[in-house]
Amino acid sequence: MAPQGIWSGTISFSLVAIPVQLVRAVAPGRISFRMLHNTDFSPLVRRMFCPRQGVQVPPEEIVRGFEIAPDRFLPITDEELESLSPERSRTIEISQFIDMAEVDPLYYDHPYYLVPLKGGEKSYRLLAEAMRQTNRAGLARLVLAEREHLVAIRSTEGALSLVTLHYNEELLPAQAIAPGAAKGSAEMKARIKRSIKRMIAEFEPEKYEDSRRTKLLDILKRKAQEQAPVEPPPIAAEEGEGPPDLVAALETIMTDLRKGR
Amino acid sequence: MAGGTIWKGAVHFGETMIPVKLHAAVKEERIQFNLLHRVDLVKLHQQMICAYEKKPVPAESQIKGFEVEEGKFIIIDPEELEQATPASSRVIEVHEFVKLDRIDPIFIERTYNLEPDAVAAGFSEFAEVLQEMEVAGICTWTMRKRSYLGALQGTGKVLRLNTLRHADEVVAVGALGLKEIPLSEREIKIGRDLITQLTEPFQPQKFVNDHEQKLRQLIEKKARGEKVAVLRPKVKKPTAPEELLHVLEASLKKAA
Repeated sequence: MAPQGIWSGTISFSLVAIPVQLVRAVAPGRISFRMLHNTDFSPLVRRMFCPRQGVQVPPEEIVRGFEIAPDRFLPITDEELESLSPERSRTIEISQFIDMAEVDPLYYDHPYYLVPLKGGEKSYRLLAEAMRQTNRAGLARLVLAEREHLVAIRSTEGALSLVTLHYNEELLPAQAIAPGAAKGSAEMKARIKRSIKRMIAEFEPEKYEDSRRTKLLDILKRKAQEQAPVEPPPIAAEEGEGPPDLVAALETIMTDLRKGR
Repeated sequence: MAGGTIWKGAVHFGETMIPVKLHAAVKEERIQFNLLHRVDLVKLHQQMICAYEKKPVPAESQIKGFEVEEGKFIIIDPEELEQATPASSRVIEVHEFVKLDRIDPIFIERTYNLEPDAVAAGFSEFAEVLQEMEVAGICTWTMRKRSYLGALQGTGKVLRLNTLRHADEVVAVGALGLKEIPLSEREIKIGRDLITQLTEPFQPQKFVNDHEQKLRQLIEKKARGEKVAVLRPKVKKPTAPEELLHVLEASLKKAA
């Protein structure tokens, strides 16, 4: 299943322009549960509700807002947000290339992949291959919804990956909590080195399991063997529900808002 | 100024036990938005609606189910969820050490700065050895009922703990469905030259989040009742495959 697109636009470097789509590179590994109604096991869905009118509100009637005074909200539209940086909201302009070794992983925020849109496949491949051969990454700015990010675009196994970076002012220095200048114990260092040498291994992320997930799966498997799963009554097609992709888009917006992303 | 202590634990491997305190390494102060009803600008609340009865369902009538097949669920109750919750412990157990450059940055999720919570327990020695040997300590620990996978990294005397994603949380490049596209030697050569021309050192202090400032100004303007100009975003014309070489050459000339 192709990953969902989060943003689409153009990457550019000098005069080259590549139409692309931004897609997720990571998906949470949590086992996801559905919330069900305890009377008949009907799945529950999240809907937004207006407390003043006492009604459910469909996605097209929802707008983003900023609280300017207690309970007073100012709506901000997508068009207004895009107007803040009109040259950046649809284009990721690579202003320079860098050696990724110069970027401390502390700067890394969130990873994505870029996939080429129709007509951009060749330029995309060229950028990926040239960056791979020169061992460089592109530094650029990206505007995603209400946020502007500094980003690094890297070549990964023939694809372009993008990672948003923290701004300098967002990093908290460790100097304040680092130990003092007192010289360390050479004996302790030697002992630690010996322990480490005995424990050297290859980095194989597949080796490490999330124990909570494993235990949950065991519980679920056991329950599935002991009893039949429950079934809710069939749901008739819903009216005025809105197309499923709008609802899914709304869920994504809400999740991102809650995560502050 | 470092963030406050989030958690306390101890790094353990072999005979070494190093008590530490965790601090956030990143602070994000961003403008927060709410979802509003367009017609009356009232802040919206979230409700769980029963898909069958189409009515809101209160929290006490909600249960969790795992979908085993389409439309069929296994119910899980809070006691069972609790059974799966890892036992709390204050130990950051190191299982092995790996070469730093073998950890693809895509696995790194969040970073904590560590502070020693005891004297003479080997904190700075450990940090220095990690840096000298260019290795990271792969570890697991439980914090606030969640289990974590992480990598301990040393920079000078500073010790850092990065949480790592699990392998199945990372989308593989193969899943993107990218096709192989042939490129000419000349295209690659000009591409490389162009990248080299445009390479500069990484100077993060040059980049300021001016977008946040512009956003605040927009909010203030609208709050005063001023009209805000809506500018159409600029869209660049994509480079057609047959023009690529020509555009690359023109770019190289421009950059030189």
